[in-house]
Amino acid sequence: MSTPISYFVVVSAMLFAIGTVGVLVRKNALVIFMSVELQLNAVNLALVAFSRMHGNLNGQVLAFFSMVVAAAEVVVGLAIIVTVYRRRQSSNVDDLTVLRG
Amino acid sequence: MLDLIWLIPALPLAGAVVNLFLGRRLGKAAGWLATALVALGFVLAVAVLLDLLSLPAEERLHVANLFDWISVGTLSVDVALRADPLSITMVLVVTGVGSLIHLYAVGYMEHDPRFGAFFAYLNLFVFFMLMLVLADNYLLLYLGWEGVGLCSYLLIGFWYDRPLASSAAKKAFVTTRIGDAAMLLGIVLIWVHLGTLDFGAVFGERASELTQGAATAISLLLLAGAIGKSAQLPLHVWLPDAMEGPTPVSALIHAATMVTAGVYLVVRSHVLFELSGTALTVVLVVGLVSALYAAVASIGQFDLKRALAYSTMSQIGFMFFAAGMRFYTGAMLLLVCHAFYKALLFLTAGNVLHGLHDETDMRRMGGLRGQMPVSATWFAIGALSLAGIPPLAGFFAKDQIVGFAATSDRELAWVLASIGAFLSALYIARPLFLTFFGRRRGEERAHEAPALMHAPLGVLAFLTVVGGLVLGFTAEGGRLAAFLEPVVGPVEHGEAALSEGALIAVSVVLAVGAVAVAFWIWASGRVDWEAFPERQPELAGWLANAFYLNALYGWLVQHPGKGFGRALTVVDERVIDGAVNEVGDEVIDASGIAPRIQRGFVRSYALAFLLGAVALLLFLGLRA
Amino acid sequence: MDVDQIVFWVFAPISVGSAIAMLLQRNAVHAALFLVVNFFTIAVFYLVLGASFLFAVQIIVYAGAIMVLFLFVIMLLGVDREESLLERLKGQRVVAIALGVGIAVELIVAIRAGIGFATKAPPDFDEVVNRGGNAAAIARVLFREYFFPFEVTSVLLIVAAIAVVVLASRRRQVITRADASRANEREAA
Repeated sequence: MSTPISYFVVVSAMLFAIGTVGVLVRKNALVIFMSVELQLNAVNLALVAFSRMHGNLNGQVLAFFSMVVAAAEVVVGLAIIVTVYRRRQSSNVDDLTVLRG
Repeated sequence: MLDLIWLIPALPLAGAVVNLFLGRRLGKAAGWLATALVALGFVLAVAVLLDLLSLPAEERLHVANLFDWISVGTLSVDVALRADPLSITMVLVVTGVGSLIHLYAVGYMEHDPRFGAFFAYLNLFVFFMLMLVLADNYLLLYLGWEGVGLCSYLLIGFWYDRPLASSAAKKAFVTTRIGDAAMLLGIVLIWVHLGTLDFGAVFGERASELTQGAATAISLLLLAGAIGKSAQLPLHVWLPDAMEGPTPVSALIHAATMVTAGVYLVVRSHVLFELSGTALTVVLVVGLVSALYAAVASIGQFDLKRALAYSTMSQIGFMFFAAGMRFYTGAMLLLVCHAFYKALLFLTAGNVLHGLHDETDMRRMGGLRGQMPVSATWFAIGALSLAGIPPLAGFFAKDQIVGFAATSDRELAWVLASIGAFLSALYIARPLFLTFFGRRRGEERAHEAPALMHAPLGVLAFLTVVGGLVLGFTAEGGRLAAFLEPVVGPVEHGEAALSEGALIAVSVVLAVGAVAVAFWIWASGRVDWEAFPERQPELAGWLANAFYLNALYGWLVQHPGKGFGRALTVVDERVIDGAVNEVGDEVIDASGIAPRIQRGFVRSYALAFLLGAVALLLFLGLRA
Repeated sequence: MDVDQIVFWVFAPISVGSAIAMLLQRNAVHAALFLVVNFFTIAVFYLVLGASFLFAVQIIVYAGAIMVLFLFVIMLLGVDREESLLERLKGQRVVAIALGVGIAVELIVAIRAGIGFATKAPPDFDEVVNRGGNAAAIARVLFREYFFPFEVTSVLLIVAAIAVVVLASRRRQVITRADASRANEREAA
């Protein structure tokens, strides 16, 4: 493979940054959640790239586990969003201000 | 006997303690006890006098060292009592006149609810006064000095529920405090320069160690204390107000004894005053100016006791005048005679007050000799003595001083002193005539005092008549002068322009003339003196308010005082309260800002996280 | 140019572009679809990097299961709801974008400092590491060294499933008036 590994990691970094901005800027809870998934994927990409660089499979295994956990997390998170929606009839994150001080 | 001299002050001290604790239970006996103790003190003083007289003149000095008092570093002061002619003279006056006044007070204060406390304070006063005159060093003298000031405060304000009385007491204390502070400085200076406060050392071999400047400073500072205590200008404002106290107090403290303490101090310290040249001149000027000022002021007073108070100030001015001319024996003779006739005058005034139920305004008196003949007689004797009518005591005392002024090189002083003598006759004849002669201007029927109160008056009247003859027949050779000579030195006077006989004649003419003028104005009915305030309101105002000095002092002190108080209030409200309130407001404002951080928006929390994360990465990156 | 380079330079822009596009969509369904595209590109990257097993798992699990789940929920909550463009929090957008750029820059700098831009992968990955194929190789590692975490994740999945069942069930509780009004007051505040 002739592409330098760092190129993949750079792409991962950019995807991560885009995901972060998405978490902060969007108001729809679902889209925010999707941005979080984007971040997770970016990290997985970095893991796999480094695994290739180091020449062992630890990075890939870790990425595998990350996916498993992400799946579980998505499941639970969506269930929460649905529950909140049932209460407030809104999926707008800005409407959840019960904890204001 | 000389060794037991400590008994003389100890007796009244014991009386004070007993009356303080048991006074209420003793009732009237408290008064008898107090009087007896002071009288006993007089008897002991006579015994000491006889002991002294048995010694040759140069050896008439005995110091009884009671115990070591202060011994700190280089300062060593003992409680030591000094028996010499000067101190014994004062002791005799204090105990003698004092016991007579105590006796009078037993009758005068008969119905007062705090009878016991009154005599406790009186005895305490006598104790402190005796300590003052018997002290053998300046610190012990100062103890007595402060003590009489305290007792003066307690006694002026004895009827403390009267606001005038309590503020008069405060005024007396504060005004004399100014003088006392200066005096303490003077005493400290003595110690700084000479390392000792004992009279024997200071006036004896150590005196020559003082430079003239130091002696002047010390003398002037001591003089300041004397001015305060003796109510001379400019610290005199407390004396007229002190008349708010009971009349026996006015008689004892503010006529016969405490106010003469200043004269005693100057005479006792004459060595220091003579070392400084200028201090004696200051004494002379202060005395003369005070005498003249008080004389005029007395003429403007309508309150009987206030008129007498100003006359006291004037007479003491004469004593200072004499001391300033180095005529110490003349000052002492006047002091003794003044004690006799001033006490007599004040106590008789007490009779008038007693008979008229505390009326003090002379405009509502008049013609009382019909209703109070005995008191009128006493007052007349006292007044004529003060006026200087021979052969009463006052004549000898005053005439010698005026005559001495003629022999010094100070012609102006003689003229002014003569004017003062004329005025003094005028100002004492005026109350005599206003009160007891003329037409009766009130409705109340005055009743004469009981016999108990007349007894001491009789004794005082007798002393007023014969005192001068016995003690001071001539200036140089009188008994008192001879007695005091070991202490104060011989009387030196120069030549006068007029012969002695001529001088005496001038004095007598002035005195008689003044009495006659007084009679014409105030008793004959031919001068409408009652209309004077309406016809000349300004002049009358100046006289009645003693040239508004009191008001001036009030303005000088009160104005800055109130201004300062107001400034402090502003500081307190704006600055201190303001700061505290500001802090409170800032906290409230700050706590208004704080909720803005936590509005409840999840996304702003997330932003905060990210901010922290970025910063942390930056920090780590820069470190590596 | 090698194949992997061509693949990289084709799919990298698609990846970043679809991510940005997901960000900018007002409609949630559109955003989800763009995210699916992004997942596909990442799967391709896995393939190029020698992780064929993960390539398959990515497509099956992420794009196939997770995103489908997302789409279900979006439809449950209202498909045609468009998000408003109005930003109520002052400065949120500006700061967010600034910080995003900042993160990217920091990470890139860290990469340069760490491994440098030129490091290439070692050539013997396929022969040595992926002996017998990537799946077998992963199995060799997964069921030996990482056996315990593997079992734990299975427990995790069970727990997640139970949690969702609990969360999603509508329990018919008796909500008293007091509870409801208090809750409403709190929400109104």
